[in-house]
Amino acid sequence: MKPIHNLWQERLRFDMRAALVIIALIGLLPAVVYGPYALGIILVSVYFAILALGWNLLAGYTGQFSLAPAAFAMIGAYTTALLDHYWQVPLALGIPAAIVVTALFGLMLGKLVLNLSGPYLSLTTLAFAEIARVVIGNSHEFTRGDQGMHVATLTDNRLAYYYIFLFALVVVLACIYWLLKGKLGRFMMAVRDDPVGAESRGINVVRIKMIAFCISCSICGLAGSLYGTFSQLVSPELGLLQQTGLILSMVVIGGMGSLSGAILGGVLIYLGSEWLRGFGDIQMIVFALLVIVFARYIPGGLWGMVAARLQGRRS
Amino acid sequence: MMFRCLRYLAGLMGFAFLLSPAFAADPILIGVSLTQSPPGSVVQGTQVKDGMEILKDMVNAKGGVLGRPIKILYEDNQGIPEKGRAATEKLISSDKVVAMAGGHQSSVCLAEIEVAHRYKVPYVNTNCWSDDVRKRGYPEVFNTSPYNTLVSSSMATTLATMGVKRVVAFAENTDYGIGQAKLTGELLKAKAPQIEYKYETLDRASKDFTAAVLPLRANPPDVIVMSMLPPAAYLLMNQVYEQGVAPTAKTLMYDGGGLADYPDFWQNVKEGGKYLLSFALYHPQMKQTPLASDIAAEYKKRTGGDINRLVLQAADSLELVIQGIESAKSTDSDKLIKAMQTMNFKSIRGVSDFSNKPGFGYQQWLEIPYVNYELTAEKQPIAQTVLIQAPGQKFDASKIVHPAK
Amino acid sequence: MLAFDLLANGLIYGCFYALMAIGLAMIFGVLKIVNFAHGEFFMIGAYTYVLVALKLGVSPWLALPCAAVSGALLGWLVERLLMRPMYQGYASWGFMKDEYAVVVTFGLSLLLINLVDKIVGPYSFRGPPLIDVSRFALGPIMLTGQKAIAAVVSVLLMIGLALFIKRSVWGKQIQAVAQNRLGASLAGIDATRTTSLIFMISGMLAALSGALLAPLVNPSPDIGAFPAVKSYVIVVLGGMGSIWGAMLAALILGVSEAFFSVYISYDYRDAFGLIILVVVLLFRPQGLFGEKGREL
Repeated sequence: MKPIHNLWQERLRFDMRAALVIIALIGLLPAVVYGPYALGIILVSVYFAILALGWNLLAGYTGQFSLAPAAFAMIGAYTTALLDHYWQVPLALGIPAAIVVTALFGLMLGKLVLNLSGPYLSLTTLAFAEIARVVIGNSHEFTRGDQGMHVATLTDNRLAYYYIFLFALVVVLACIYWLLKGKLGRFMMAVRDDPVGAESRGINVVRIKMIAFCISCSICGLAGSLYGTFSQLVSPELGLLQQTGLILSMVVIGGMGSLSGAILGGVLIYLGSEWLRGFGDIQMIVFALLVIVFARYIPGGLWGMVAARLQGRRS
Repeated sequence: MMFRCLRYLAGLMGFAFLLSPAFAADPILIGVSLTQSPPGSVVQGTQVKDGMEILKDMVNAKGGVLGRPIKILYEDNQGIPEKGRAATEKLISSDKVVAMAGGHQSSVCLAEIEVAHRYKVPYVNTNCWSDDVRKRGYPEVFNTSPYNTLVSSSMATTLATMGVKRVVAFAENTDYGIGQAKLTGELLKAKAPQIEYKYETLDRASKDFTAAVLPLRANPPDVIVMSMLPPAAYLLMNQVYEQGVAPTAKTLMYDGGGLADYPDFWQNVKEGGKYLLSFALYHPQMKQTPLASDIAAEYKKRTGGDINRLVLQAADSLELVIQGIESAKSTDSDKLIKAMQTMNFKSIRGVSDFSNKPGFGYQQWLEIPYVNYELTAEKQPIAQTVLIQAPGQKFDASKIVHPAK
Repeated sequence: MLAFDLLANGLIYGCFYALMAIGLAMIFGVLKIVNFAHGEFFMIGAYTYVLVALKLGVSPWLALPCAAVSGALLGWLVERLLMRPMYQGYASWGFMKDEYAVVVTFGLSLLLINLVDKIVGPYSFRGPPLIDVSRFALGPIMLTGQKAIAAVVSVLLMIGLALFIKRSVWGKQIQAVAQNRLGASLAGIDATRTTSLIFMISGMLAALSGALLAPLVNPSPDIGAFPAVKSYVIVVLGGMGSIWGAMLAALILGVSEAFFSVYISYDYRDAFGLIILVVVLLFRPQGLFGEKGREL
């Protein structure tokens, strides 16, 4: 007997394949792009792509619209930095430590917002994010506050770092894909679409939410920690609400609820904002206008447009 | 559709650049990373830019350096260390500037000098006061900026000479603020251990410091020292004034951040600025080099305002690079750094001499001239302020004016 | 006495916070969205007041209504151009309206900040005070003329708003739409027009609070962050959509901040409100005054 067509799995597989193609393209870029500066730019956009994936898991698939992804990147980065600065902990331990610490904080946040939804949840996560940022930013004796902390680095070779980030992206993507492929993925979407209905069907909504928070926040923490070792500097600016807004724009414009959309959004929007430097003084104004126009007139995001065309052709 | 339009627009702009009049010779590129948008101090960034532009135009009008015109490439770091790092990377590795200058916020400087050090490109510190910038000991970094130890020693001497009993200091929660407040306290303790001194750290992003000021109402100190920058500094001054804590017959405020000559000082503090004692790096009564007078005149012509120390500091950093290139007869990084280390730098602000002491004095112009003065009327131009300590002279406490009550 | 001083100052600032936050509470109560650009409405109001009074030489008392008008206009524009897709057209944006609102208002906030920075300039301005009394003693506390008037005007505005919502026809329509949008439109209320009105009122109130505080906080293009975060805290603390709740939460916030910063630490002054919020939510997830609590 023919196996039953699982539409969701098909779409996910298509999504995953597209994401891998995008990553492969990024991996081939160093063949045509020269100079440490240009590589650095693409590398940072990959950092944002990882953050976008992490946040998308929580918001796009599980419906928990958190405003704290940048704060978790900051917490991850500072974990590694503090361990390195005070106890000379090597990065091989420092980076996994960042993952663990942010996972724990993520659990805490999840517990806090368990009974909230919609804007209440968003604002509470915002409060959490701001508390983290203000505490880190003002604990001058401990974290050197606004000035930031120096961090050790994995390697001095820019190209090597490029592929380290890309590798991290692939690993994160694989984990998320594996997560979503199974029952957990569908439970998450059930929690997103109809938590009451999900509960009534026996899904442990609390557990799903906690898992989502834990994993999403630790992904953000990993990204932040890696970025800290790359720029050799961590500062509270990593956790600014502005950064969170940027990540959100990337996912929404790229296409929520899809893996390729998050990656595409992350990479394109960051590269776009860099390209806008050519506009000089008004670069931020143009960027803001683009964000507004895209959000207003292109629902479903870039991935939505592309996928609709590609999938339309297949059927 | 939108992308297409934007691409055409970008193409047109590129074409327009090609058509713009080109110099006969290939310009020397100098990189400047400064703040041009919030959340950093845009006021400072604008003044640094003004100073550099004026000197650049003057030099180019006389034929440039080594027969080549100077071109300054500006990047906006928004006052964020991470953006400063990225901007410096871009200027050095992509735009291939021969030197960096213009850093004006300590936390951003500290991030940027790492990049300059990695690429071995000279970096002139225009206005980062934190001693840490010097303490790193990077040979690429040249400091024409004032430094915390200079300011704190002067302030400690002033306080000791004034013969006061109690001092309270407010410091912003940055390395500059806390560094200055702590250092002033230590130096004061050494000079005059009988003076009671304590400092409070305030969040520079906060808008209300009344809660910090209220406890002083019952028992006001003799001097309130400020180690803060705008906008928080202005708010603090206003709120101290509103609560009637200072200036009074007993209490005066003493500023260690060089606020009084910022162009927006008076429009922000109004009467609260009267009787402010100020450590300052510029006063019309200081000996001016002819170049400084020219720059002052040009600044007045372009902006209608009086010159201030930040504009001169900016021009000075550019001047250091220019003289370095002329002395090395090349723009090669190694030769340039060596020239800047060994040459006799004729600063715009006076006779300069780079020391080589490790620590806060590393490649720092130690004897930067300064004064202490007091503002005695609203909207007072600097030329009319009361000099309590004339340049190079001793502090004269008898010149201090207190309000009637 | 220090404690009395702190209490008085805390209450005064609480009134200011309340005025800032009420507009946000209204939008929340009706549309259930986060407005990332709320702080910028405050900023536009502050700048309108300062520019009209300083550059056009108009009396500050006349500049206040100008600020109010600019806020209302901005609110109307935002609703008309950016917010409509959220509730008109369920098919495309229906399930994503929270995300859409956040992204669009984030873009708007960035746009407004940078526009003002480029057009007006980055320098901060101190707004001219409504009366030129820089300090006077009211019993044991020292006040400025501006603080006193701003506090009084804030209280009057809030009372006015409360009466408007409770008694007027439009106010009742607002209540209806807040409770049940679909039901209200079935009952014949034009929900879209009511939403437009709400945005205008929210913009107007935020702009007025900006104008009243202009002499106190020296507005610069990025001043919006300060009222925004405080407003978010107040709205959640007070219990969504509850205007009374927001007012009380604002007063509580003002007073706690004053006391905590003196007795615990000035450094974390701005974190206290957030910490209070988190602690309260641990024990009372519906905020201090609850969703199902008193709604106007």
